[in-house]
Amino acid sequence: MQIRSGRSLTPSSLDALDNSIIDILRTNGRTTNQDIAKQLSITAATVSARLQKMEDARAMRVVAVTDFAALGYNVIIAVGVKVQARSVQAVGHDLAKFPEVLSVNIMNGRHDIELLVALHDFSEVQQFLYDHIGSIAGVAQIDAGIAVDIAKYEFNVAPL
Amino acid sequence: MKRPDLDDLDRQLIAILAQDARVSNRKIAVDLGVNEGTVRGRIKRLQQDGLIAFTALTGLKLDKATNIAFIAIQADVAQVRQIARDIAHIPMVKSVMITLGPFNIMATCLYDDLDSFHGVTSGHILALTGVYHIETSLAVRTVKFSNRVVRITDTRTDGVG
Repeated sequence: MQIRSGRSLTPSSLDALDNSIIDILRTNGRTTNQDIAKQLSITAATVSARLQKMEDARAMRVVAVTDFAALGYNVIIAVGVKVQARSVQAVGHDLAKFPEVLSVNIMNGRHDIELLVALHDFSEVQQFLYDHIGSIAGVAQIDAGIAVDIAKYEFNVAPL
Repeated sequence: MKRPDLDDLDRQLIAILAQDARVSNRKIAVDLGVNEGTVRGRIKRLQQDGLIAFTALTGLKLDKATNIAFIAIQADVAQVRQIARDIAHIPMVKSVMITLGPFNIMATCLYDDLDSFHGVTSGHILALTGVYHIETSLAVRTVKFSNRVVRITDTRTDGVG
């Protein structure tokens, strides 16, 4: 039963119309059903039904996203972490608990873990890197790349 | 990057819209006990100032591109900003930062298969004038992933369509 419901909306069951609706909402998530209907030459009721279907299937959500600046995040740092004498997974879970850590990825390359960290200002950098991240058991070494400019940062996917 | 003047009402508005951006102005106005015109005006101002945007998120598993790779780039300092902009135009590339450190650009890429990722790195990024060296690494597991914080720029629509 669960497997069936879990598979009720596979990528192939999002048809061209669903994807056209998603494309419009990616650009402006508050486009009205009437406007979407007009752009795609369908009825507003169809738009409403498709949106309901996709939301029920947890295939899509329309949300507000916030700029780093709106949250007062002025310092963004990419941190590569090398782990020793502890499971990488366990270290990753500990690092994920910090609200300043926006993402945690376990990697196969030079670093065992890549973090993206957002801080309010430079005075917090030293404390956060050495006292907070450095204090997690298993963190052996960190390499930080401090962002001086963000040319692009947008992810339109989410674990729903 | 300055801290903008957001008041409590702005923050409450953002919190509601972060859950569901398709809530009507009328419902938000009722929930927050303000009038509809205030809600409309606030949303408009936040959008115009580039502080919030409304977008559709699709499920990671349903999206074809579910694999995350990191690309660290060493590029000519004099051209680094132009190179970062060029890389930002590649649709599969989702973030580009100019950084201080051993690499001066860090990018992330969502890819479907290794062939298309190779196309981005070798075919596209390494082919740019001024790019000297790149190192790639692949995420084998994502522990935490926040997509609600973004950089709102006018390149937003480039990846669409």
